[in-house]
Amino acid sequence: MIAVERLVKSYKSNCVLHGVDHTQQRGEAVVLIGPSGCGKSTFLRCLNQLEIADSGRITIGGVTVEGGCPPRTRAEHDRQRQLRLQAGMVFQSFNLFPHLTVLRNIAEAPIVVKGVAPDEAMAFARELLAKVGLENKTAAYPSELSGGQQQRVAIARALAMRPQVMLFDEPTSALDPELRDEVLRVMRQLVEEGMTMIVVTHEMQFARDMADYVIFFDGGRVAEIGPPEQIFSDAKQERTREFLKRCTTR
Amino acid sequence: MVGASMSGAWRLSRVTYGFLGLFLLLASRPLPVFSADRLSEIKSAGVLRWGADAEGGAPYIYPDPQKPEQMTGFEFELANALAAKLGVRAQMVQNQWDQLIPALQRGNFDIVLNGLEITPENQQRIAMSLPYYVYAQQIVTRAETTGLEKLEELKGQRVGVLSSTVAQRLVTGLGGVDVRIYPGNVESFRDLKAGRIDAVVLDLPIAIYYARPDPGLKFSGAPFAPGYYGIGVLKEDTTLLAALNTAIEQLAADGTLERIYRKYDVWDDRQKNLKDYKPQKVSARATVSTLRDWPKYLPLLLRGALVTAEISVLAMALAVVAGLVVVLARLYGIAPVRWLARAYVEVMRGTPLLIQLFLIYYGLPQIGIRLNAFLAAILGLGLNYAANEAENYRAGILAVPRGQSEASLALGMTRWQCLCRIILPQAARMVIPPVTNDFIAMFKDSSIVSVITMVELTKVYGMLAMATYDYIGLGLMTAGIYFALSYPLSIFANHLEKKLCHDRR
Repeated sequence: MIAVERLVKSYKSNCVLHGVDHTQQRGEAVVLIGPSGCGKSTFLRCLNQLEIADSGRITIGGVTVEGGCPPRTRAEHDRQRQLRLQAGMVFQSFNLFPHLTVLRNIAEAPIVVKGVAPDEAMAFARELLAKVGLENKTAAYPSELSGGQQQRVAIARALAMRPQVMLFDEPTSALDPELRDEVLRVMRQLVEEGMTMIVVTHEMQFARDMADYVIFFDGGRVAEIGPPEQIFSDAKQERTREFLKRCTTR
Repeated sequence: MVGASMSGAWRLSRVTYGFLGLFLLLASRPLPVFSADRLSEIKSAGVLRWGADAEGGAPYIYPDPQKPEQMTGFEFELANALAAKLGVRAQMVQNQWDQLIPALQRGNFDIVLNGLEITPENQQRIAMSLPYYVYAQQIVTRAETTGLEKLEELKGQRVGVLSSTVAQRLVTGLGGVDVRIYPGNVESFRDLKAGRIDAVVLDLPIAIYYARPDPGLKFSGAPFAPGYYGIGVLKEDTTLLAALNTAIEQLAADGTLERIYRKYDVWDDRQKNLKDYKPQKVSARATVSTLRDWPKYLPLLLRGALVTAEISVLAMALAVVAGLVVVLARLYGIAPVRWLARAYVEVMRGTPLLIQLFLIYYGLPQIGIRLNAFLAAILGLGLNYAANEAENYRAGILAVPRGQSEASLALGMTRWQCLCRIILPQAARMVIPPVTNDFIAMFKDSSIVSVITMVELTKVYGMLAMATYDYIGLGLMTAGIYFALSYPLSIFANHLEKKLCHDRR
């Protein structure tokens, strides 16, 4: 489902990703952990082309994009969009559209991008809102919602495009602890439904419970990879053990 | 606002001028000194201050083309000769021509010596000396024009006149003439040659200086409607008036006048009639209250307001659309397009609107593009404001958080869909206040288009104020109309802003 080969990304002279490889099967949930600045967010942003990798190759759901320069031709732009359509993205800062109602936030892209009939898109949006437990907020504007509610709408918005893969970039980091659970509950539900996902997070409990395997990122490289029970109790790398110790004692 | 500051100087000299003058008159300056005798004051100071307008003032008074720091002209030499007769030195005080009498009354100078016609209207306000020059009106046409040799033949024609002159009164009084009013001498001849108008009527000396050397133009028919130029002094300055009259008689008798006039080619046989002048009894001026007579004046102002509204709305529509094109080019275009858009903004807001209007109206015909005044006004104002709107939009677009475009791109939108659906709607709410502000400024800034012969609200105000001297009444009405134009716009913008900003509570 996901295949990443030798992904390299640097900003000016600062190298953030040193040739990362990653493969992931359909239905697998992967959690990316690691200290801040280790490149895990950049990795995620490269996957759906919010950052253009310097070199390497990304394949998601059968669509392949080579790293290098930003797209120039129409064909290159189309390919980039095809890749993005395979992956739904959830941001740390929600990024809901403030000028649209909750329902419209969810239905906008299906209507505009996929050309879905508005009625149909709205009906599916209601369905997704019910799924994230916000069926009574259809007419609300994002500013009227709590952070947790906004993030749940953002998840529904990404799901509305029926992506093959869901990418979560620290989805709970901007939330108060009491609001995190409602978002994590939705994410757990998605894992149980068999959604293929990559989650960048500091929620170790979520990683422990839900991940098929955990990747520890350090210094722009995959430092360690393994099932959660092994990473959390018996990490091979000293670096991983140190990081996890700091996380759990925090 | 860039646009507002560009034309600030201009606005000051128009609507505000009346008010400013008024406040100076009422508040800070005492009314002209009554106590001391003006003539003895002048003699003790050794200086005779005379008011005139040297802008486009040839051949009366104008900067010497050879030595631009020095003045020349037949009135300049006359003023020196008069001052010499009084035993003092002449000092010219620059003042806008159609405001010379109010400025004299404010005490800015001692006399007005600048082609001031001896008319009952002028004599009601100030005292006029014996005449020093007999002028007449001259019709000027293109060289190939036939006919149009008499005033009556101008009916149905497009005729240019200088603002607030006898010619304006004559041609307007004729009725059925498409009168175009110009602020200066040169522009009317340029439009005549460009075919925008059919004839120009103006005082003979101006025609001699500007039109006679031009092979493309001709004097059409004989001069007509002779009249007298006199020196204006305050009514209470009787001793000064007497001294000036004596000096004029002496200068006429000893041939000084003839010598000066011949030097500037404005001498003709009519000048021999100077000595036959008989002063006429002038009845006291009936004061006009335009407020009391509002049914007569308000419709005229409203007709001007209609022109102001038309120009402002159309120019703003152009600015709003063109500004969007410019900002999109600047933010999303390829490199050369970006530079062009940036250069457009910098040039348009870095150069005066007045110059831009002149270039569009008088400059473009030289390369074959001939726009009428209405279109030129809309184009000039619109393109100038487009630069401001582009900057407003740019601020609005850049204020939309980056996450918004990331989210929409991640959802698979194209850059264009992202711009139209997500970025611009959010930017729109942010730019409503500054764009509304510009729109309101536009109503007032549009008064500048009177320099390319558009008769809009401020121009109507100026013309009526000149005729009635009721600056207060007309000023209040005019200000009221401007306010009535802009206030609903403020309310509408507030409403729109509220409607679009449901998310900010």
